[in-house]
Amino acid sequence: MSSDLALRDRAFARFEDVWLTQDNIAHYEGLLEQQLLINRCSNCGNWVYPHRPLCPECLSWELVPTPVSGRGHVYMFTLIRQGRRIEEGTYDPPRVVAAIELEEQAGLRYLSTVTGMTPGEVVVGMPVQISWSDAPADPYPSFVAVPADGE
Amino acid sequence: MARNPIRGNVAIAGVGSTTYERDSGRTDLALGLEAAVRAIEDAGIDRQSIDGICGSGRDTFSEGQANYLAVQGALGIDETTWVLNAWLGCAFVYAVEAVASGLADTVLVVQTSMRGVTMSRSAVSDPFRVRAGKQGVQGAQSSGPLSPDPAQRWIHSGEPYAAWMGRYLAEFGATKEVFGRLAINNRSHASRNPAAAMRTPITMEDYLSSRPIWEPMQMLDMDVPVDCGEALIITTAERASDLKRPPVYVNAASLGGTRIGEHYEQGIAWDKLAPWAAMNGLWKRTDLTAGDMDIVFPYDGFTINAIGWIEAAGYCGSGEATDLLSESWDDTEQILRLGGHTLVSTNGGSLSHGRAGGSNYYAEAVRQLRGSEGERQVPGAGAALVGVGSFYHDPAAAILTSQP
Repeated sequence: MSSDLALRDRAFARFEDVWLTQDNIAHYEGLLEQQLLINRCSNCGNWVYPHRPLCPECLSWELVPTPVSGRGHVYMFTLIRQGRRIEEGTYDPPRVVAAIELEEQAGLRYLSTVTGMTPGEVVVGMPVQISWSDAPADPYPSFVAVPADGE
Repeated sequence: MARNPIRGNVAIAGVGSTTYERDSGRTDLALGLEAAVRAIEDAGIDRQSIDGICGSGRDTFSEGQANYLAVQGALGIDETTWVLNAWLGCAFVYAVEAVASGLADTVLVVQTSMRGVTMSRSAVSDPFRVRAGKQGVQGAQSSGPLSPDPAQRWIHSGEPYAAWMGRYLAEFGATKEVFGRLAINNRSHASRNPAAAMRTPITMEDYLSSRPIWEPMQMLDMDVPVDCGEALIITTAERASDLKRPPVYVNAASLGGTRIGEHYEQGIAWDKLAPWAAMNGLWKRTDLTAGDMDIVFPYDGFTINAIGWIEAAGYCGSGEATDLLSESWDDTEQILRLGGHTLVSTNGGSLSHGRAGGSNYYAEAVRQLRGSEGERQVPGAGAALVGVGSFYHDPAAAILTSQP
């Protein structure tokens, strides 16, 4: 799936702590280009995530990294008050980790964070949409509340 | 009814436990060996009759843990015909399988648990552990192994449980009190158990005001990290009946796999998590019912786990634990009696006895079913249900009985 070696090498460099494989590399290359790519079965249309090589619905191997709309809702989340204790004895700051259920398919959940509001405002079920950072050093997307008018 | 070649054929003949300490200054191998020696003595067997060992850990070598290679060598057991490393509730079931299948006649199960550097300040400052972490010894690092796809950025394995707790509150309109009752129940039992690490009784106010860790999860929703070891001797029912202690029988057991796999956020629904798979498998293999149990041990690594296991066991429907625990509350003793009868985690569970991956539930069940617990004895205890394991991996359910 990865044809652009330069892009692959950039993904290798940027996602140093991620176990990259032939099965998930396209997703990370997509992040570098601010595209959220999820594998979709070209035989039955099922979205397949996490990135495994086989469609669990029809057992087809024809999975194609495909952009999703970036819209969904908060399925569940936690506010991490106490993070990993590192050797210097400090904690990471509080942050939200949320499983976003993408609108493309029931049960299709992407783990991310919710930004643009105080953590206490995040609730289960709230509609969200994807947001990309302007900082090139941060390739991971976050999700923000969908404005009241729906757009 | 599914096949059940275990029933009537497999029994627990020996049990051994170490103290549960916050800072033992000992290795997990030392703790595992102490538990093993106690279990061998308890069963009254020659250690050379042990022909199977289930060690503590998740792979063959399991560095830094009481794995079968280290345990067999350290105990000087000459030959075995079955060995495996495992953890959580599965370790017990694997050993039972080995006896039931004939690959071994007498299996020693050793399980150890150590305060991890992600969960214990004293572990962080333990110079041996800091050094082992830098050396990459399994279980000693400050972060977990690489995930297959860390787009899932749960930092700790516990965070998805916190998220499920929030989901449970929202989906079923529950409040934190349902989790608080579980925490208070376990502490009330622990206050009567000299072996427990946390024995000071707690109130609902204590629970609700405990420190937030991963909201909505608080400190008193989480098990207490200790250094400890547990061991069991599992053998044929026939052989157990000739040994010095009353046998405790394995009535039925089940493991449980789901299609969720390793990505914790992908659970299709609350009642499709692993405890339901294990409990569904268990009830197909026995004539007994949840109401027949005198004690139930729902895994309480976090309070949300225990609520899941209680619901999965069928004490109430999915999402209905709030009403069940309210109706089951004994206000005088500050404990639960499910359906007016079944006691919950009489040792104090992981929350208050200590974090032992559930191996302590099997030990407590054996002791109660032998009727050996004096002031702590559950009157007439004849059947106990253990449900141990993650929402995602290594779940096991088992029924132990005092009669075959």
